[in-house]
Amino acid sequence: MTAFNFETPSRQSAKGIVVILGVGIYKLVKATIILIVAFLFKYFQSKKSIDFTHPVVIASFIGLLFIFLLLAILRYRNFKFHVNEEYFILKKGVINKEEVSVAKGKIQNVYIKQNVLQQLINVVSLAIETAGDDKTEIEITALSRAKANALKELLLSGDKSNFEDNKIETVDPIFFKASFKRILLEGISENHLKSFVLVFGFIVGVYNDLKEFIEQLSISKEFSSWFSLDSESFISLLVFNLSIVVLLLVLSFMLSLVRVLIQNFNLTVTRSEKGLEISKGLFNKINLGLIASRIQTTTVSTNRLKGVMGLYQLAFTQAMVNKKQRKKFNIIGLSKAQINELLNQFYPEVLSNNTANKPDMYFVYRVVFLSIIPIILINIGFVFLPKLFFFLNIPILGFIGLSIYFAYKKKYYSIDDHYIIVGGGGLIDKTTSYLETSKIQAVSINQTIFQKRRGLASVKVFSASKSLVIPHIVMTSAQDIKNYLLYKVESEDKDWM
Amino acid sequence: MMPFTNNQIDIAMLPKVEDVILESISPKYFRILIFNTVILYALFIASITILSTFVDSDSFLSHVFWYLTSILIISCLIQIFIYKLGFKKRKYALREQDIIYSHGFFNNETTTLPFNRIQHIEISRTFIERKIGLSTLKIFSAGESGGDISIKGLPRSIADAQYAFLTKILNDRL
Repeated sequence: MTAFNFETPSRQSAKGIVVILGVGIYKLVKATIILIVAFLFKYFQSKKSIDFTHPVVIASFIGLLFIFLLLAILRYRNFKFHVNEEYFILKKGVINKEEVSVAKGKIQNVYIKQNVLQQLINVVSLAIETAGDDKTEIEITALSRAKANALKELLLSGDKSNFEDNKIETVDPIFFKASFKRILLEGISENHLKSFVLVFGFIVGVYNDLKEFIEQLSISKEFSSWFSLDSESFISLLVFNLSIVVLLLVLSFMLSLVRVLIQNFNLTVTRSEKGLEISKGLFNKINLGLIASRIQTTTVSTNRLKGVMGLYQLAFTQAMVNKKQRKKFNIIGLSKAQINELLNQFYPEVLSNNTANKPDMYFVYRVVFLSIIPIILINIGFVFLPKLFFFLNIPILGFIGLSIYFAYKKKYYSIDDHYIIVGGGGLIDKTTSYLETSKIQAVSINQTIFQKRRGLASVKVFSASKSLVIPHIVMTSAQDIKNYLLYKVESEDKDWM
Repeated sequence: MMPFTNNQIDIAMLPKVEDVILESISPKYFRILIFNTVILYALFIASITILSTFVDSDSFLSHVFWYLTSILIISCLIQIFIYKLGFKKRKYALREQDIIYSHGFFNNETTTLPFNRIQHIEISRTFIERKIGLSTLKIFSAGESGGDISIKGLPRSIADAQYAFLTKILNDRL
């Protein structure tokens, strides 16, 4: 089957030394970055010149590098793995010896990843994920791609029933390859508000630390001279604030655009009988296997802009995936037809379901009631400001009103023999989540005292990954739904993965 | 092999969760709730009192300590009152195919976990629970976002019996 021999203990590629060294230095720098920055800061501040070409400085740098290199070589020498009939066995450790063995049947996922360094020296890393705990993450950091693929295939062949298929498996045709243009469009039409909040939070957080630094550079003085803050002119204050907001907006736009581009660079999806294979990433290339039977919920999302351009995203949640990988199981830049094709593969006949049930109008009252408090708070703030500010209420109220209107309009649920579908979204976004009834773990009915007065309740459906909520429906239909779903789970006794 | 049928399901004929008569947990458990709350707040108050000895008795901060202490005592009482309200709502029941647990006064939640989704079961007894003969029965599903059931304050004999019953079901399934 393969040209590689995994039965005798072998080391990874000798290039592994470079990877281990690189990762070691990266970790050291990451751990001491604050110290280094503080040191450099003090150095620049003191105006004292430390001679970086001084023999002692150079010698200590070289010494440190040498120690790291030695450690990397020792780690490499002591890192051996092999695969026998049933187990994958890994021996590692320089001083503390460790032996990890994993039964092939217990292996949940095998990822092939490639960071920048690995891309440069043309090796990949292979990570093995087992069921349950996050601690035993096994990773071989330097393998040639061909060897990694062979090992992956061997490890995933633990399931004897699929063994025959694996042998004759040919290369699956590429189902979807996102063009650069589509990824770019996805990046542009992202919900930039999210990264705006992120950037804003970051700047507020860093501001206090940077305050001193900025004062030294006397940027603020220049700024104030530009806008003549001392004249107390109201307009200049407004312009000053607006320019900061615009700057933040541009920054967050760039941030989300770059993030989408980097994460999804060269996004390729191949389709097979068992599931999907997603590979993507610019600096950190990653290969993800998606096994159909393990899919729990699937969410299709788009927004107004993306909808116009025909861009849809598909996000899967899988059972037994460790938390770090969970967010990566999504495919962007799909067309409507491709979405339907994939949905039909994993959820046959789901698209023929058209009965959409709406939640109670309490859904609206509740949000209206809840948004009164921030509106009052904002208006209390306006009292201390010029009268003109009260006009800001018009866009705020308009925004809230439209958000609530569309949130209600887009919210729906539908339940048929096999699937639960919950639709939702807000002013801009639109999402539709799918869950097979046989994947349900537990069902609960939640009723707050406010809902009780109106005879309403919410149904929460738990799966092995995400849960779906059907909000604010009449108690009797909530009970009907719960009884029906429990009946399905208990009478069918189907496996959930 | 059973003859294959595929009749339409009449939802009205399905077994109803809401018709099940739920059992209350042991009233003794309320003592544990009070005990735990009082201990927690007592620790808070104690640490504040210790801190206050380091502050000048005339300073503004010493008044703040009194305010904080009274706020803590009031919230302790409110907490106990909420527990009292919610205590009657802590109920459970076993059916042939699933286990039901209901709790919460302000936000009542009734979770039902089918037996064929149980991953493992656990019985735990804290020190005080042991003293007054109570147990906590925890039932875990594979639900990552919740859906697990933890019935606190079951009389020990009932918890043991249920544990044995559920273990038997789990073993039969395999």
